[in-house]
Amino acid sequence: MTSITPTSTLSVRDLRVGSPFVELLHGISFDIAAGERVGLIGESGSGKSLTAISVMGLLPETLRATGTVRLNGLDTDLLTAAERRLNQLRGSTMAMVFQEPMTALNPLMRVGAQVAEIMMVHRTEKGRRQARERAVDLLAQVKLPNPTEAALAFPHQLSGGQRQRVMLAMAMANDPQLLLCDEPTTALDVTVQAGVLKLIGNLVADRGTALMLITHDIAVVAEVCQRVLVMYQGNIVEDGPVGRVLTAPQHPYTKNLIAASDLSWVDDRGRLHTVSMPVVATPFVPAAAAAPRRVEADAPPPMLPAHRAAHQRLEPGGPPVIFNEVAGAPVIRVRDLSRQYRRRGGGLFSPAPIVHGLRDVSFDVAEGQRFGVVGESGSGKSTLMRILCALDQPSSGTIDVLGQRIDIAAERQLRDFRSQVQIVFQDPMGSLDPRMTVRDIVAEPLRHVSRAEARARVEAQLAAVGLDADVMDRHPHQFSGGQRQRISIARALITRPRVLVADEAVSALDVSVRAQVLNVLADLVDEYQLTLVFVSHDLGVIRHLCDTVAVISDGRIVECGPTDNVYDHPLHPYTRQLVSATPSLDELARRVTA
Amino acid sequence: MALVVLRRIGVFATTVVVASIVTFLMLSILPGNAARIALGVQATEADVAEQATAMGLDRPAVVRYLDWFGHVLVGDFGTSTVSRQAIGPDIADALGITVILVLTSVVLALLFAIPFGILTAVRHRKPDGVILSGISQIGVAVPGFLAGMLLVTVFAVTLRWLPAGGWVDPGDDFGGFLEHLILPAIALGSVQGAVLSRYVRSSVLEVMREDFIRTARAKGLGAGRALFRHGLRNAAVPVMTVLGLQIATLLVGAVVIERVFSIPGLGSLLLDKVALRDLPAVQGIVLVLVVFVLVLNFLVDLAFTLIDPRLRSAS
Repeated sequence: MTSITPTSTLSVRDLRVGSPFVELLHGISFDIAAGERVGLIGESGSGKSLTAISVMGLLPETLRATGTVRLNGLDTDLLTAAERRLNQLRGSTMAMVFQEPMTALNPLMRVGAQVAEIMMVHRTEKGRRQARERAVDLLAQVKLPNPTEAALAFPHQLSGGQRQRVMLAMAMANDPQLLLCDEPTTALDVTVQAGVLKLIGNLVADRGTALMLITHDIAVVAEVCQRVLVMYQGNIVEDGPVGRVLTAPQHPYTKNLIAASDLSWVDDRGRLHTVSMPVVATPFVPAAAAAPRRVEADAPPPMLPAHRAAHQRLEPGGPPVIFNEVAGAPVIRVRDLSRQYRRRGGGLFSPAPIVHGLRDVSFDVAEGQRFGVVGESGSGKSTLMRILCALDQPSSGTIDVLGQRIDIAAERQLRDFRSQVQIVFQDPMGSLDPRMTVRDIVAEPLRHVSRAEARARVEAQLAAVGLDADVMDRHPHQFSGGQRQRISIARALITRPRVLVADEAVSALDVSVRAQVLNVLADLVDEYQLTLVFVSHDLGVIRHLCDTVAVISDGRIVECGPTDNVYDHPLHPYTRQLVSATPSLDELARRVTA
Repeated sequence: MALVVLRRIGVFATTVVVASIVTFLMLSILPGNAARIALGVQATEADVAEQATAMGLDRPAVVRYLDWFGHVLVGDFGTSTVSRQAIGPDIADALGITVILVLTSVVLALLFAIPFGILTAVRHRKPDGVILSGISQIGVAVPGFLAGMLLVTVFAVTLRWLPAGGWVDPGDDFGGFLEHLILPAIALGSVQGAVLSRYVRSSVLEVMREDFIRTARAKGLGAGRALFRHGLRNAAVPVMTVLGLQIATLLVGAVVIERVFSIPGLGSLLLDKVALRDLPAVQGIVLVLVVFVLVLNFLVDLAFTLIDPRLRSAS
């Protein structure tokens, strides 16, 4: 590791953080040089955020930090500095941007005033009026449209990306020497993320600010940083230039992490690489590469659907297109589907404004097809999913699923449909009843089944998703996110459905866990010969899992076709924008090393 | 903003009309002859019939309602069946007293609850915070009339600092008015104060964990300043909700406290009129009490709109 140099903006030595009962950071040391851009990467719970808030001196009361944290070669150790001194440093010498732009701003205060406040607190502007004027300048620098008006807006009137720009304007207001960003783009859409990352990179480069960027996403680090620190279970396990770490990772954990992040890397059986690591991490121990999986000779060949989609796009102003049209009887047939919402409010005398959730959507899904729907927040993909599962009704248009018109069916006519079409939701914590045992959760969809048979089927289903039978009497909070998602999948598959609909089913998971869950899902889809509809914002996941993809934007399918075709030769400008905003790891490595 | 206020006024007016209909139905259409109730059991049939005509009871209910509510809107509550005098002036006098009592106790309750709640929240891990929080819990459990009697025993009977009851008009003798106001207002406000301080505490605790407080700390604001500048307004929103809900309880409390302290407010007037079986007066007083609650709730709603910009935009 680097030694203390006078040019270090941040110098952390043997930082240990813990409660009286458990140590969470096990003595980490690193430096960040002036103007250097360093990424801190690792999975949830690895101690990334804890490192940042220790530096800021904002640890919760229950945690204690030891070691030394020095800023800018100053003699004061931030960990033992008086609160008054820290208040002087926070917001002026070091500043921080947090993950959730939705909650990190005061909802009751105009954003201009919130930006001005940081200058008032540190008296870097003479008066309130000057601070407000500078705030408008700063909002212009972070490229908010109409900065003068934006300054007078309340946070709820801005989008997520705009709020994160406000946070950046605030953090950069006093020209800090060190900027800490904790997952600044994780809550944003990919196309918005690209813009915000570029902005962060430009802002710190222009001002020579040192940057510590925390993320779980290797691509984000590659985009912005020069050096990367890899954290695992409270230790820094690898430290090196981004290009080197991406192309030649040293530590086995880093190798695993990169392999698991790479959804284009699969073994002979089409399975993703998963992270299997010893519980205790030992920093910098070179180890042999993870042993490749044994290829089983009798493994069933992956099922290929007979139907191959045509690659089509929606022309601007052109007629509605029927995408992926299937001759004969498709599993799902959607025609001219529209869904409008009446937004709450409106004037006393004017009607409430109408929001178009979906507009003239037509497509088919063939038996055994793996159909991906990709789009950003607000694109209409969740609305589409809800309607496909008969949880919502369209304003107009028709949907046939397995030969039944579900848009006009009454709930009691849908009993068969409900067992044939199952759903896996995004949030495995929120979608499992916390007071039910796993056995009851998984067995719930079963009807007219004896207790013994239900037990046997639940046990078999849990085994199929890779969980032991002894988890049956536990409750959801006793499981990790990945395990909970396996439980959700077990519950969805226990009725032996023909169609599985997944809504962002792996979006809340860490990359290594994501790979495991995707493998389980892919195996089961093959084994049960399911027709899969997978809704996600993540292009990589869709590319890995689906043979056909529909790109949805602003309530319309703008492009649809075989996944590889769409990704490699996008026809619609929106698809091109989306694809270029999420480069593959190979491409990133090329860019970084170039 | 103006639109939101207009809409709130519309809701308020509608609620008042509905409340008047309910009040009218409850007291006029329920079984029993209002004329007989007014005259007592010994009245002859002829007297009752005459009384019924005098009270207009022979007309259809809809006509009677419109007649009654139309007059109420211009301040005419009809004539007492007992004193044969207009009810309106009596209600107006009593309402003035109750408004003063209730508003004073709300102000006292807030003056106690806000600092006390913030203190117990900020010091929730320290022994003093826990003890103070326990005290407020006891306060919640004490009924208002008991607090009133204890206050009278200590400050009026034993110490003889303040009068035990009665009322002095502020126009006649302002010092005397304050002396007579202070004990009942404390008795009425103390329970509310204890309840509200619990909500202030939990609301402030909640807000101290919010991300934007962490943002404020990261900007260089000290913990106290961050809470003061960013936390309190946010914490006020749920407290206001509770305050709005508590207002009805407060009025019920006022009816009891006015009895304990012999204050000639709406509560005392209502109980007197009920005892005298003066139905038109009871009907008028009940409506005024309901409208009073609605007005206070309306003001709370407006305050919400002022505090929270998210409620301001109409769309």
